[in-house]
Amino acid sequence: MTRHFGHNALSDSQVATLRRAIRLEWITMGFLAITVTLVALVLGNSQAMKTAWIEDILSFIPPIAFLIAVRVGSRRPTIEHPYGYHRSVGVGHLVAAVALTTMGVVLIVDSGSSLVKAEHPTIGTVVLFGHVIWLGWLMMAVMALTALPPVIIGRIKMGLANELHDKVLYADADMNKADWMTAVGTIIGVAGVGLGLWWLDSAAALFISGSILHDGLKNMKGAVLDLMDERAKTFDDRRPHPVAGEVQDYLRGLAWVKDAGVRVRDEGHVFHVEAFIVPRFGRAPSLKHLSEAREACAAMDWRVQDIVLIPVDSLPDTVESGRRRRSRP
Amino acid sequence: MPTDPNGTLDRVTGGVLRVGVTPYEDRVVLHENGPPSGVEVELVKDFAETLDADVDWQSGSEGQHVRALEDHELDLIIGGISDRTPWSSKTGVTRPYAEITTEDGTQLKLVMLVQMGENAFLSELETFLTQRGQEASS
Repeated sequence: MTRHFGHNALSDSQVATLRRAIRLEWITMGFLAITVTLVALVLGNSQAMKTAWIEDILSFIPPIAFLIAVRVGSRRPTIEHPYGYHRSVGVGHLVAAVALTTMGVVLIVDSGSSLVKAEHPTIGTVVLFGHVIWLGWLMMAVMALTALPPVIIGRIKMGLANELHDKVLYADADMNKADWMTAVGTIIGVAGVGLGLWWLDSAAALFISGSILHDGLKNMKGAVLDLMDERAKTFDDRRPHPVAGEVQDYLRGLAWVKDAGVRVRDEGHVFHVEAFIVPRFGRAPSLKHLSEAREACAAMDWRVQDIVLIPVDSLPDTVESGRRRRSRP
Repeated sequence: MPTDPNGTLDRVTGGVLRVGVTPYEDRVVLHENGPPSGVEVELVKDFAETLDADVDWQSGSEGQHVRALEDHELDLIIGGISDRTPWSSKTGVTRPYAEITTEDGTQLKLVMLVQMGENAFLSELETFLTQRGQEASS
């Protein structure tokens, strides 16, 4: 069976990429389950450990959002849902971002207040294989053990996010990549407690809470802008997506076209393109010309399937246009 | 590692261990004249001995002791305190060191309370209690 993102049939290599991404997200969640269990076992009274643990639990949200979005987004468009289900990506992205932001704020208040109240974290001992050992050593060991794998998984996912044009996957990969900072922060906090510097624990917790809030706000901005139909950007939101320019250049190059401008919105994995075309000599283009142009555009990039060509006598103001034309006569 | 932010272990070693006691069944018994007696009292005496410390016994209610602990006027509280103590946000709670059945038949895991964050002292105490427990069971 061919896999789809809505209308858009995926190429074999994309199907392989998607499979890899799905598998990696399951691996991520398996790893998270182990991490959350291990950290819970050595949680103690460290504020930094508590914060890192909550961050680990929150890290389940992006993979789950991705898996749901892929499943829902692959449904074909229907009469009820003529644009397909791609917006599921944006919805998942927003939900994940709001959760992160909320937790970030809660944890900042929590860590800040234990810093202000000068609560000295109490970390005692445990018995491990008949030996009494300071729990702080175990905390640091668990953090050191779980620091690196997410970074590696995150790097791989980053590449897949680019190929699949998936922003939830990107957000997830970005968070994974920064995960080592949480681990190092926690280790410093617990080591601080060991050295009698009780405030380092809350300070580390504050730092981790800050990074959660930062992730939340960054993703919230991206998700909201996409849902607001911001011009299509690359998967990392760094620059405008080149496909708009490519479609526009192609249309401008056609013999029957005097000028053309496009607007592109990101529906999730795929784009919805509206191309405005001013025909030469003010003559309406033939259906053959239009359908040829449409097919050629769709062939340019797999993200472009849902494309609408609109013959007009002058271009609207807000379309992508290198040579910006005054639309008013 | 660990170290005490307020230096309890250093101060107590070769010095005085200030212990708040509340009577509890036959484990902590107060006397009008002279020091308290009972299993927990003996345990604390032995612990103080490993630190070459004298014990200063202070009687009062658990609430009074916890306030004194917060004001750094006590180092340790004993007296049939269970691991489900409501004082866990104001004090450092040791690992359970013994399990008893009360007169009404409930199982209690017993702990002691120390100042929050005095982790070297806490670890020293827990290590002592664990060794005692292992000796008792073997």
